[in-house]
Amino acid sequence: MQPLANVTQLKPAARAGAIEVKNVGQVFKTRSQDVVALEDVSLEVKPGRFVVLVGPSGCGKSTLLMMMAGLRQQTAGTITISGAPILQPDPDRVGVVFQEASLFPWLTAEDNVEFPLALRGVPKAERRAKAQDALKLVGLDGFGRRHPHELSGGMKQRVSIARGLVQDPPVLLMDEPFAALDEQTRMTMGDELLRIWAATGKTVVFVTHSLTEAVYLADEVIVMSARPGRIVDHLQVQLPRPRTYEMLSGDAFGSLRDRIWRHIRKSA
Amino acid sequence: MSARISAKSLRYLIVIGLIALWELLPRAGLIPELFLPSLSSTLIAGWTDAGEYGHALAVTLYEVVVSMAFACGGGILLGAIVGSLPRPRILIMPMVSSLYAVPLVILYPVFTVWLGIGSESKIAFASIYGFLPTMLATAAGIQTIDPQLLLAARSMGATLSQRLVRVIIPAAIPTVLSGLRVGGALVIVGVVVSEMLISSAGIGYLISRYRTILDSPHVFAGVLLVLFLAIGFNAVIRWIEGKAAIWQTGTRAGQANDEIAVNAMQPAT
Repeated sequence: MQPLANVTQLKPAARAGAIEVKNVGQVFKTRSQDVVALEDVSLEVKPGRFVVLVGPSGCGKSTLLMMMAGLRQQTAGTITISGAPILQPDPDRVGVVFQEASLFPWLTAEDNVEFPLALRGVPKAERRAKAQDALKLVGLDGFGRRHPHELSGGMKQRVSIARGLVQDPPVLLMDEPFAALDEQTRMTMGDELLRIWAATGKTVVFVTHSLTEAVYLADEVIVMSARPGRIVDHLQVQLPRPRTYEMLSGDAFGSLRDRIWRHIRKSA
Repeated sequence: MSARISAKSLRYLIVIGLIALWELLPRAGLIPELFLPSLSSTLIAGWTDAGEYGHALAVTLYEVVVSMAFACGGGILLGAIVGSLPRPRILIMPMVSSLYAVPLVILYPVFTVWLGIGSESKIAFASIYGFLPTMLATAAGIQTIDPQLLLAARSMGATLSQRLVRVIIPAAIPTVLSGLRVGGALVIVGVVVSEMLISSAGIGYLISRYRTILDSPHVFAGVLLVLFLAIGFNAVIRWIEGKAAIWQTGTRAGQANDEIAVNAMQPAT
Protein backbone atom coordinates (compact mmCIF):
# COMPACT_ATOMS: atom_id res chain seq x y z
CA MET A 1 0.00 0.00 0.00
CA GLN A 2 2.87 2.37 0.78
CA PRO A 3 4.11 2.93 -2.79
CA LEU A 4 0.56 3.46 -3.96
CA ALA A 5 0.04 6.20 -1.37
CA ASN A 6 3.11 7.95 -2.73
CA VAL A 7 1.77 7.77 -6.24
CA THR A 8 -1.51 9.36 -5.20
CA GLN A 9 0.34 12.24 -3.62
CA LEU A 10 2.29 12.84 -6.77
CA LYS A 11 -0.40 12.31 -9.37
CA PRO A 12 -3.93 12.68 -8.04
CA ALA A 13 -5.36 12.75 -11.56
CA ALA A 14 -4.13 9.23 -12.15
CA ARG A 15 -6.54 8.02 -9.48
CA ALA A 16 -9.56 10.01 -10.62
CA GLY A 17 -12.68 8.40 -9.25
CA ALA A 18 -10.97 6.40 -6.51
CA ILE A 19 -12.45 6.66 -3.03
CA GLU A 20 -10.55 5.88 0.13
CA VAL A 21 -12.21 5.86 3.53
CA LYS A 22 -9.76 5.33 6.38
CA ASN A 23 -10.71 4.67 10.01
CA VAL A 24 -13.63 7.04 9.77
CA GLY A 25 -15.81 7.67 12.81
CA GLN A 26 -18.73 9.94 13.52
CA VAL A 27 -19.95 10.89 16.96
CA PHE A 28 -23.07 12.99 17.42
CA LYS A 29 -22.97 15.00 20.61
CA THR A 30 -26.32 15.45 22.27
CA ARG A 31 -26.96 17.11 25.59
CA SER A 32 -27.25 13.89 27.56
CA GLN A 33 -24.81 11.61 25.76
CA ASP A 34 -22.56 11.06 22.79
CA VAL A 35 -24.02 8.82 20.11
CA VAL A 36 -21.51 6.86 18.06
CA ALA A 37 -23.01 6.73 14.57
CA LEU A 38 -20.00 5.31 12.78
CA GLU A 39 -16.98 3.54 14.20
CA ASP A 40 -13.72 2.81 12.47
CA VAL A 41 -15.06 2.46 8.95
CA SER A 42 -12.50 1.79 6.25
CA LEU A 43 -13.12 0.95 2.63
CA GLU A 44 -11.61 1.44 -0.74
CA VAL A 45 -13.48 1.90 -4.00
CA LYS A 46 -11.60 1.54 -7.24
CA PRO A 47 -12.38 3.91 -10.12
CA GLY A 48 -15.41 2.94 -12.18
CA ARG A 49 -16.85 0.49 -9.65
CA PHE A 50 -20.50 0.35 -8.68
CA VAL A 51 -20.62 -0.02 -4.90
CA VAL A 52 -23.81 -0.32 -2.86
CA LEU A 53 -24.07 0.42 0.87
CA VAL A 54 -26.78 -1.48 2.71
CA GLY A 55 -27.65 -1.88 6.36
CA PRO A 56 -30.47 -1.49 8.85
CA SER A 57 -31.99 1.92 9.51
CA GLY A 58 -29.69 4.06 11.60
CA CYS A 59 -26.52 2.22 10.58
CA GLY A 60 -25.00 5.45 9.34
CA LYS A 61 -24.84 4.55 5.65
CA SER A 62 -26.36 7.87 4.62
CA THR A 63 -24.09 9.65 7.08
CA LEU A 64 -21.11 7.99 5.46
CA LEU A 65 -22.33 9.08 2.04
CA MET A 66 -22.82 12.66 3.26
CA MET A 67 -19.24 12.66 4.52
CA MET A 68 -17.99 11.42 1.15
CA ALA A 69 -19.90 14.32 -0.39
CA GLY A 70 -18.21 16.78 1.95
CA LEU A 71 -21.58 17.76 3.40
CA ARG A 72 -20.65 16.60 6.86
CA GLN A 73 -17.31 16.30 8.61
CA GLN A 74 -16.28 13.04 10.22
CA THR A 75 -15.03 13.19 13.81
CA ALA A 76 -12.23 10.71 13.10
CA GLY A 77 -10.31 9.38 10.11
CA THR A 78 -9.88 10.63 6.56
CA ILE A 79 -11.78 10.39 3.29
CA THR A 80 -10.00 10.99 0.02
CA ILE A 81 -11.57 11.15 -3.41
CA SER A 82 -9.45 11.13 -6.56
CA GLY A 83 -6.43 11.16 -4.28
CA ALA A 84 -7.20 14.33 -2.30
CA PRO A 85 -9.06 14.69 0.99
CA ILE A 86 -12.64 15.88 0.76
CA LEU A 87 -13.26 18.66 3.28
CA GLN A 88 -16.21 20.44 1.71
CA PRO A 89 -18.59 19.84 -1.22
CA ASP A 90 -16.61 19.76 -4.44
CA PRO A 91 -18.89 19.34 -7.47
CA ASP A 92 -15.88 18.91 -9.73
CA ARG A 93 -15.02 15.66 -8.00
CA VAL A 94 -18.34 14.46 -6.60
CA GLY A 95 -21.90 14.64 -7.87
CA VAL A 96 -24.69 13.86 -5.41
CA VAL A 97 -28.17 12.53 -6.15
CA PHE A 98 -30.70 12.79 -3.33
CA GLN A 99 -34.20 11.50 -2.84
CA GLU A 100 -36.96 12.79 -5.07
CA ALA A 101 -37.64 16.02 -3.20
CA SER A 102 -34.39 17.77 -4.03
CA LEU A 103 -35.25 19.37 -7.39
CA PHE A 104 -36.01 23.08 -7.19
CA PRO A 105 -39.72 23.24 -7.98
CA TRP A 106 -39.57 26.80 -9.35
CA LEU A 107 -37.01 25.90 -12.00
CA THR A 108 -37.56 23.96 -15.22
CA ALA A 109 -35.79 20.63 -15.67
CA GLU A 110 -33.01 22.22 -17.71
CA ASP A 111 -32.59 25.09 -15.26
CA ASN A 112 -32.34 22.52 -12.48
CA VAL A 113 -29.62 20.67 -14.38
CA GLU A 114 -27.84 23.96 -15.10
CA PHE A 115 -28.02 25.05 -11.47
CA PRO A 116 -24.55 23.84 -10.40
CA LEU A 117 -23.05 25.46 -13.51
CA ALA A 118 -24.91 28.71 -12.87
CA LEU A 119 -23.46 28.77 -9.35
CA ARG A 120 -20.00 28.96 -10.85
CA GLY A 121 -20.85 31.56 -13.47
CA VAL A 122 -20.58 29.32 -16.54
CA PRO A 123 -21.87 31.30 -19.57
CA LYS A 124 -25.47 30.67 -20.53
CA ALA A 125 -24.84 29.05 -23.91
CA GLU A 126 -22.30 26.59 -22.54
CA ARG A 127 -24.59 25.82 -19.62
CA ARG A 128 -27.51 25.09 -21.89
CA ALA A 129 -25.43 22.84 -24.15
CA LYS A 130 -24.14 20.81 -21.21
CA ALA A 131 -27.59 20.51 -19.68
CA GLN A 132 -28.99 19.30 -23.00
CA ASP A 133 -26.29 16.64 -23.21
CA ALA A 134 -26.95 15.51 -19.65
CA LEU A 135 -30.71 15.36 -20.23
CA LYS A 136 -30.16 13.38 -23.41
CA LEU A 137 -27.92 10.96 -21.53
CA VAL A 138 -30.66 10.23 -18.96
CA GLY A 139 -33.30 9.85 -21.68
CA LEU A 140 -35.13 13.14 -21.13
CA ASP A 141 -34.41 14.78 -24.45
CA GLY A 142 -37.19 17.29 -25.13
CA PHE A 143 -38.41 17.52 -21.53
CA GLY A 144 -36.13 20.38 -20.50
CA ARG A 145 -38.88 22.99 -20.37
CA ARG A 146 -41.03 21.08 -17.90
CA HIS A 147 -41.24 22.03 -14.26
CA PRO A 148 -40.72 19.22 -11.73
CA HIS A 149 -44.45 18.99 -10.93
CA GLU A 150 -45.06 18.23 -14.60
CA LEU A 151 -42.78 15.19 -14.45
CA SER A 152 -43.38 11.70 -13.07
CA GLY A 153 -41.36 10.44 -10.11
CA GLY A 154 -39.00 8.49 -12.33
CA MET A 155 -38.46 11.46 -14.64
CA LYS A 156 -37.68 13.71 -11.68
CA GLN A 157 -35.04 11.28 -10.55
CA ARG A 158 -33.58 11.25 -14.07
CA VAL A 159 -33.31 15.03 -13.85
CA SER A 160 -31.50 14.65 -10.51
CA ILE A 161 -29.06 12.22 -12.08
CA ALA A 162 -28.51 14.60 -14.99
CA ARG A 163 -27.84 17.37 -12.49
CA GLY A 164 -25.33 15.16 -10.67
CA LEU A 165 -23.54 14.37 -13.93
CA VAL A 166 -23.61 17.78 -15.61
CA GLN A 167 -20.17 18.81 -14.32
CA ASP A 168 -18.78 15.41 -15.29
CA PRO A 169 -17.39 14.47 -11.86
CA PRO A 170 -15.66 11.08 -11.69
CA VAL A 171 -17.75 10.05 -8.67
CA LEU A 172 -21.51 9.90 -8.32
CA LEU A 173 -22.97 9.45 -4.82
CA MET A 174 -26.61 8.38 -4.60
CA ASP A 175 -28.61 8.48 -1.37
CA GLU A 176 -31.61 6.15 -1.74
CA PRO A 177 -32.47 7.79 -5.04
CA PHE A 178 -35.28 5.41 -5.93
CA ALA A 179 -36.79 4.95 -2.47
CA ALA A 180 -39.85 7.05 -3.27
CA LEU A 181 -40.64 5.29 -6.54
CA ASP A 182 -43.08 2.46 -7.12
CA GLU A 183 -41.63 -0.98 -7.74
CA GLN A 184 -41.95 -1.07 -11.54
CA THR A 185 -40.47 2.39 -11.97
CA ARG A 186 -37.73 1.40 -9.58
CA MET A 187 -36.77 -1.62 -11.69
CA THR A 188 -36.75 0.48 -14.86
CA MET A 189 -34.67 3.16 -13.20
CA GLY A 190 -32.20 0.55 -11.98
CA ASP A 191 -31.64 -0.63 -15.55
CA GLU A 192 -31.40 2.98 -16.72
CA LEU A 193 -28.84 3.78 -14.07
CA LEU A 194 -26.74 0.79 -15.10
CA ARG A 195 -26.92 1.95 -18.72
CA ILE A 196 -25.83 5.47 -17.75
CA TRP A 197 -23.09 4.08 -15.53
CA ALA A 198 -21.80 1.86 -18.34
CA ALA A 199 -21.86 4.80 -20.74
CA THR A 200 -20.02 7.21 -18.45
CA GLY A 201 -17.67 4.96 -16.47
CA LYS A 202 -18.33 6.82 -13.21
CA THR A 203 -17.55 5.47 -9.78
CA VAL A 204 -20.95 5.06 -8.14
CA VAL A 205 -21.66 4.72 -4.43
CA PHE A 206 -25.31 3.92 -3.92
CA VAL A 207 -27.19 3.73 -0.62
CA THR A 208 -30.36 1.65 -0.46
CA HIS A 209 -32.68 -0.26 1.83
CA SER A 210 -33.54 -2.81 -0.83
CA LEU A 211 -31.41 -5.93 -0.83
CA THR A 212 -32.64 -6.94 -4.28
CA GLU A 213 -31.71 -3.55 -5.67
CA ALA A 214 -28.32 -3.81 -3.96
CA VAL A 215 -27.39 -7.16 -5.51
CA TYR A 216 -28.94 -6.31 -8.88
CA LEU A 217 -26.95 -3.10 -9.33
CA ALA A 218 -23.68 -3.68 -7.57
CA ASP A 219 -20.16 -4.83 -8.34
CA GLU A 220 -19.64 -4.82 -4.58
CA VAL A 221 -22.07 -4.69 -1.69
CA ILE A 222 -20.91 -3.26 1.64
CA VAL A 223 -23.06 -4.36 4.56
CA MET A 224 -23.16 -2.22 7.67
CA SER A 225 -24.38 -3.00 11.18
CA ALA A 226 -26.76 -0.97 13.31
CA ARG A 227 -25.45 1.76 15.60
CA PRO A 228 -22.58 2.06 16.00
CA GLY A 229 -22.24 1.62 12.24
CA ARG A 230 -19.46 -0.72 11.23
CA ILE A 231 -18.73 -2.65 8.08
CA VAL A 232 -19.66 -6.28 8.72
CA ASP A 233 -19.31 -7.68 5.23
CA HIS A 234 -17.97 -6.74 1.83
CA LEU A 235 -19.36 -8.91 -0.96
CA GLN A 236 -18.19 -9.15 -4.54
CA VAL A 237 -21.13 -9.64 -6.89
CA GLN A 238 -19.79 -11.80 -9.69
CA LEU A 239 -22.99 -11.88 -11.75
CA PRO A 240 -22.32 -11.07 -15.41
CA ARG A 241 -23.34 -7.78 -16.96
CA PRO A 242 -25.66 -6.64 -18.35
CA ARG A 243 -27.82 -7.72 -15.46
CA THR A 244 -31.18 -9.15 -16.43
CA TYR A 245 -34.49 -9.66 -14.75
CA GLU A 246 -34.05 -13.46 -14.97
CA MET A 247 -31.02 -13.31 -12.66
CA LEU A 248 -33.29 -12.21 -9.82
CA SER A 249 -34.64 -15.74 -9.48
CA GLY A 250 -31.28 -17.47 -9.90
CA ASP A 251 -29.39 -19.30 -7.15
CA ALA A 252 -26.36 -17.00 -7.24
CA PHE A 253 -28.56 -13.98 -6.75
CA GLY A 254 -30.55 -15.61 -3.98
CA SER A 255 -27.54 -16.73 -1.97
CA LEU A 256 -26.00 -13.25 -2.08
CA ARG A 257 -29.24 -11.70 -0.94
CA ASP A 258 -29.58 -14.27 1.86
CA ARG A 259 -26.07 -13.58 3.05
CA ILE A 260 -26.80 -9.85 3.32
CA TRP A 261 -30.13 -10.49 5.01
CA ARG A 262 -28.54 -12.68 7.69
CA HIS A 263 -26.19 -9.83 8.62
CA ILE A 264 -28.98 -7.33 8.79
CA ARG A 265 -31.30 -9.54 10.79
CA LYS A 266 -28.53 -10.15 13.29
CA SER A 267 -27.90 -6.50 13.97
CA ALA A 268 -31.46 -5.16 13.71
CA MET B 1 -64.21 22.58 -16.90
CA SER B 2 -67.87 23.31 -17.55
CA ALA B 3 -68.59 23.23 -13.81
CA ARG B 4 -65.91 25.86 -13.22
CA ILE B 5 -67.28 28.16 -15.93
CA SER B 6 -70.80 27.91 -14.58
CA ALA B 7 -69.52 28.67 -11.07
CA LYS B 8 -67.81 31.73 -12.47
CA SER B 9 -70.90 32.93 -14.33
CA LEU B 10 -72.94 32.23 -11.23
CA ARG B 11 -70.62 34.54 -9.32
CA TYR B 12 -71.15 37.26 -11.92
CA LEU B 13 -74.89 36.72 -11.75
CA ILE B 14 -74.86 37.13 -7.98
CA VAL B 15 -72.86 40.35 -8.22
CA ILE B 16 -75.14 41.73 -10.93
CA GLY B 17 -78.18 40.70 -8.89
CA LEU B 18 -76.89 42.49 -5.79
CA ILE B 19 -76.18 45.63 -7.82
CA ALA B 20 -79.67 45.50 -9.27
CA LEU B 21 -81.17 45.05 -5.80
CA TRP B 22 -79.12 47.99 -4.55
CA GLU B 23 -80.77 50.14 -7.18
CA LEU B 24 -84.28 48.68 -7.03
CA LEU B 25 -84.98 48.16 -3.32
CA PRO B 26 -84.48 51.80 -2.25
CA ARG B 27 -86.29 53.06 -5.37
CA ALA B 28 -89.28 50.87 -4.65
CA GLY B 29 -89.34 52.32 -1.15
CA LEU B 30 -88.71 48.94 0.49
CA ILE B 31 -85.59 50.33 2.19
CA PRO B 32 -85.46 53.98 3.36
CA GLU B 33 -82.90 56.02 1.42
CA LEU B 34 -81.31 56.99 4.75
CA PHE B 35 -80.34 53.37 5.40
CA LEU B 36 -79.41 52.47 1.84
CA PRO B 37 -79.41 55.13 -0.86
CA SER B 38 -79.92 53.74 -4.34
CA LEU B 39 -76.85 53.06 -6.46
CA SER B 40 -77.70 55.90 -8.84
CA SER B 41 -78.03 58.54 -6.11
CA THR B 42 -74.75 57.25 -4.60
CA LEU B 43 -72.98 57.62 -7.93
CA ILE B 44 -74.48 61.05 -8.49
CA ALA B 45 -73.34 62.17 -5.04
CA GLY B 46 -69.84 60.93 -5.77
CA TRP B 47 -69.80 62.52 -9.21
CA THR B 48 -70.97 65.97 -8.08
CA ASP B 49 -68.25 66.08 -5.45
CA ALA B 50 -65.67 64.23 -7.54
CA GLY B 51 -62.96 66.75 -6.64
CA GLU B 52 -63.42 66.19 -2.94
CA TYR B 53 -63.43 62.41 -3.32
CA GLY B 54 -60.45 62.52 -5.64
CA HIS B 55 -58.45 64.45 -3.09
CA ALA B 56 -59.55 62.08 -0.33
CA LEU B 57 -58.61 59.07 -2.46
CA ALA B 58 -55.18 60.57 -3.12
CA VAL B 59 -54.59 61.03 0.62
CA THR B 60 -55.77 57.51 1.43
CA LEU B 61 -53.78 55.95 -1.40
CA TYR B 62 -50.64 57.75 -0.28
CA GLU B 63 -51.12 56.49 3.28
CA VAL B 64 -51.83 52.95 2.07
CA VAL B 65 -48.80 52.80 -0.20
CA VAL B 66 -46.39 54.13 2.42
CA SER B 67 -47.85 51.87 5.12
CA MET B 68 -47.57 48.85 2.83
CA ALA B 69 -43.94 49.63 2.14
CA PHE B 70 -43.28 49.72 5.88
CA ALA B 71 -45.48 46.78 6.80
CA CYS B 72 -44.36 44.50 3.98
CA GLY B 73 -40.73 45.54 3.85
CA GLY B 74 -40.31 45.39 7.61
CA GLY B 75 -42.44 42.27 7.92
CA ILE B 76 -40.46 40.36 5.29
CA LEU B 77 -37.10 41.50 6.65
CA LEU B 78 -37.85 40.72 10.28
CA GLY B 79 -39.74 37.55 9.36
CA ALA B 80 -36.72 36.33 7.42
CA ILE B 81 -34.43 36.99 10.38
CA VAL B 82 -36.78 35.44 12.90
CA GLY B 83 -37.50 32.48 10.63
CA SER B 84 -33.90 31.62 9.89
CA LEU B 85 -32.30 32.07 13.30
CA PRO B 86 -33.47 29.89 16.18
CA ARG B 87 -32.69 32.27 19.04
CA PRO B 88 -34.75 35.27 17.88
CA ARG B 89 -37.48 32.83 17.02
CA ILE B 90 -37.68 31.53 20.58
CA LEU B 91 -37.50 35.07 21.97
CA ILE B 92 -39.84 36.90 19.66
CA MET B 93 -42.39 34.47 18.23
CA PRO B 94 -44.43 33.92 21.43
CA MET B 95 -44.60 37.68 21.99
CA VAL B 96 -45.66 38.36 18.43
CA SER B 97 -48.25 35.61 18.45
CA SER B 98 -49.94 36.88 21.61
CA LEU B 99 -49.70 40.47 20.38
CA TYR B 100 -51.60 39.35 17.32
CA ALA B 101 -54.74 38.84 19.41
CA VAL B 102 -54.67 42.36 20.88
CA PRO B 103 -57.00 44.83 19.09
CA LEU B 104 -54.26 47.22 18.05
CA VAL B 105 -56.74 49.96 17.36
CA ILE B 106 -56.55 50.83 21.06
CA LEU B 107 -53.09 52.22 20.28
CA TYR B 108 -54.36 54.64 17.67
CA PRO B 109 -55.32 57.47 20.06
CA VAL B 110 -51.79 57.26 21.45
CA PHE B 111 -50.35 57.63 17.96
CA THR B 112 -52.42 60.76 17.35
CA VAL B 113 -50.95 62.23 20.54
CA TRP B 114 -47.44 61.38 19.40
CA LEU B 115 -47.72 62.11 15.69
CA GLY B 116 -50.72 64.41 15.27
CA ILE B 117 -53.91 63.80 13.32
CA GLY B 118 -52.27 63.97 9.88
CA SER B 119 -51.08 61.12 7.67
CA GLU B 120 -48.22 60.18 10.00
CA SER B 121 -50.39 58.65 12.70
CA LYS B 122 -52.38 56.69 10.09
CA ILE B 123 -49.23 55.38 8.50
CA ALA B 124 -47.77 54.36 11.85
CA PHE B 125 -50.94 52.57 12.89
CA ALA B 126 -51.60 50.82 9.57
CA SER B 127 -47.95 49.78 9.25
CA ILE B 128 -47.99 48.03 12.59
CA TYR B 129 -51.39 46.57 11.85
CA GLY B 130 -50.25 45.00 8.55
CA PHE B 131 -46.74 44.18 9.74
CA LEU B 132 -47.58 41.28 12.04
CA PRO B 133 -49.20 38.84 9.59
CA THR B 134 -46.55 39.58 6.95
CA MET B 135 -43.81 38.86 9.45
CA LEU B 136 -45.47 35.69 10.75
CA ALA B 137 -46.03 34.38 7.22
CA THR B 138 -42.46 35.11 6.16
CA ALA B 139 -41.05 33.43 9.25
CA ALA B 140 -43.26 30.40 8.60
CA GLY B 141 -42.30 30.39 4.92
CA ILE B 142 -38.60 30.30 5.72
CA GLN B 143 -38.98 27.69 8.42
CA THR B 144 -40.86 25.32 6.15
CA ILE B 145 -38.28 25.28 3.34
CA ASP B 146 -37.40 21.68 2.57
CA PRO B 147 -33.94 21.14 4.12
CA GLN B 148 -33.17 18.69 1.28
CA LEU B 149 -33.15 21.63 -1.14
CA LEU B 150 -30.55 23.45 0.91
CA LEU B 151 -28.49 20.29 1.27
CA ALA B 152 -28.66 19.71 -2.50
CA ALA B 153 -27.58 23.31 -3.15
CA ARG B 154 -24.68 22.89 -0.74
CA SER B 155 -23.60 19.67 -2.46
CA MET B 156 -23.37 21.64 -5.69
CA GLY B 157 -21.04 24.11 -4.04
CA ALA B 158 -23.51 26.94 -3.32
CA THR B 159 -22.16 29.58 -0.95
CA LEU B 160 -24.29 31.04 1.83
CA SER B 161 -25.33 34.05 -0.25
CA GLN B 162 -26.06 31.86 -3.28
CA ARG B 163 -28.26 29.67 -1.13
CA LEU B 164 -30.11 32.75 0.12
CA VAL B 165 -30.69 34.25 -3.32
CA ARG B 166 -31.22 31.09 -5.35
CA VAL B 167 -32.94 28.77 -2.87
CA ILE B 168 -34.30 30.40 0.27
CA ILE B 169 -35.92 33.44 -1.35
CA PRO B 170 -37.62 31.63 -4.26
CA ALA B 171 -38.74 28.84 -1.95
CA ALA B 172 -40.29 31.32 0.50
CA ILE B 173 -42.08 33.44 -2.10
CA PRO B 174 -45.47 31.65 -2.07
CA THR B 175 -45.81 31.85 1.71
CA VAL B 176 -44.60 35.44 1.79
CA LEU B 177 -47.17 36.36 -0.86
CA SER B 178 -49.99 34.90 1.19
CA GLY B 179 -48.69 36.98 4.10
CA LEU B 180 -48.67 40.07 1.90
CA ARG B 181 -52.26 39.40 0.92
CA VAL B 182 -53.38 39.42 4.55
CA GLY B 183 -50.98 42.16 5.60
CA GLY B 184 -51.93 44.42 2.71
CA ALA B 185 -55.63 43.99 3.38
CA LEU B 186 -55.06 44.90 7.02
CA VAL B 187 -53.11 48.00 5.94
CA ILE B 188 -56.17 49.20 4.01
CA VAL B 189 -58.37 48.47 7.02
CA GLY B 190 -55.93 50.26 9.31
CA VAL B 191 -55.75 53.39 7.17
CA VAL B 192 -59.50 53.71 6.64
CA VAL B 193 -60.41 52.95 10.26
CA SER B 194 -57.91 55.44 11.62
CA GLU B 195 -59.16 58.06 9.18
CA MET B 196 -62.67 57.47 10.45
CA LEU B 197 -61.64 57.81 14.08
CA ILE B 198 -59.55 60.97 14.31
CA SER B 199 -58.39 62.81 11.20
CA SER B 200 -58.78 65.70 8.78
CA ALA B 201 -58.53 64.02 5.37
CA GLY B 202 -58.97 60.78 3.45
CA ILE B 203 -61.88 58.59 2.43
CA GLY B 204 -62.47 57.35 5.97
CA TYR B 205 -62.68 60.96 7.12
CA LEU B 206 -65.25 61.76 4.40
CA ILE B 207 -67.37 58.74 5.28
CA SER B 208 -67.30 59.67 8.92
CA ARG B 209 -68.09 63.37 8.28
CA TYR B 210 -71.02 62.70 5.94
CA ARG B 211 -72.36 60.16 8.40
CA THR B 212 -72.61 62.82 11.13
CA ILE B 213 -74.78 64.94 8.85
CA LEU B 214 -76.82 61.88 7.77
CA ASP B 215 -75.91 62.31 4.09
CA SER B 216 -76.22 58.65 3.11
CA PRO B 217 -75.46 58.93 -0.64
CA HIS B 218 -72.13 60.62 0.15
CA VAL B 219 -71.35 58.00 2.83
CA PHE B 220 -71.94 55.19 0.37
CA ALA B 221 -69.91 56.91 -2.33
CA GLY B 222 -66.96 56.70 0.10
CA VAL B 223 -67.77 53.07 0.89
CA LEU B 224 -67.77 52.31 -2.82
CA LEU B 225 -64.32 53.89 -3.20
CA VAL B 226 -62.89 51.75 -0.37
CA LEU B 227 -64.43 48.72 -2.03
CA PHE B 228 -62.66 49.53 -5.29
CA LEU B 229 -59.42 50.09 -3.43
CA ALA B 230 -59.65 46.62 -1.88
CA ILE B 231 -60.59 44.97 -5.19
CA GLY B 232 -57.71 46.74 -6.91
CA PHE B 233 -55.28 45.56 -4.26
CA ASN B 234 -56.53 42.00 -4.60
CA ALA B 235 -56.04 42.14 -8.36
CA VAL B 236 -52.46 43.33 -7.95
CA ILE B 237 -51.65 40.53 -5.49
CA ARG B 238 -53.21 37.98 -7.82
CA TRP B 239 -51.15 39.27 -10.69
CA ILE B 240 -47.96 38.97 -8.64
CA GLU B 241 -48.92 35.48 -7.50
CA GLY B 242 -49.53 34.45 -11.08
CA LYS B 243 -46.09 35.74 -12.05
CA ALA B 244 -44.13 34.38 -9.12
CA ALA B 245 -45.69 31.10 -8.20
CA ILE B 246 -46.32 29.28 -11.46
CA TRP B 247 -44.42 26.34 -10.08
CA GLN B 248 -46.70 25.73 -7.15
CA THR B 249 -48.49 22.44 -7.45
CA GLY B 250 -52.08 22.36 -6.37
CA THR B 251 -52.82 25.61 -8.14
CA ARG B 252 -55.21 25.49 -11.03
CA ALA B 253 -52.38 25.98 -13.50
CA GLY B 254 -50.43 23.16 -11.87
CA GLN B 255 -53.30 20.72 -12.19
CA ALA B 256 -53.79 21.53 -15.85
CA ASN B 257 -50.11 20.92 -16.45
CA ASP B 258 -50.24 17.60 -14.60
CA GLU B 259 -52.77 16.37 -17.14
CA ILE B 260 -50.40 17.28 -19.94
CA ALA B 261 -47.56 15.50 -18.17
CA VAL B 262 -49.54 12.27 -17.89
CA ASN B 263 -50.31 12.29 -21.60
CA ALA B 264 -46.72 12.87 -22.62
CA MET B 265 -45.04 10.46 -20.29
CA GLN B 266 -44.40 7.43 -22.46
CA PRO B 267 -40.74 7.97 -23.41
CA ALA B 268 -39.53 7.82 -19.80
CA THR B 269 -40.66 5.29 -17.22
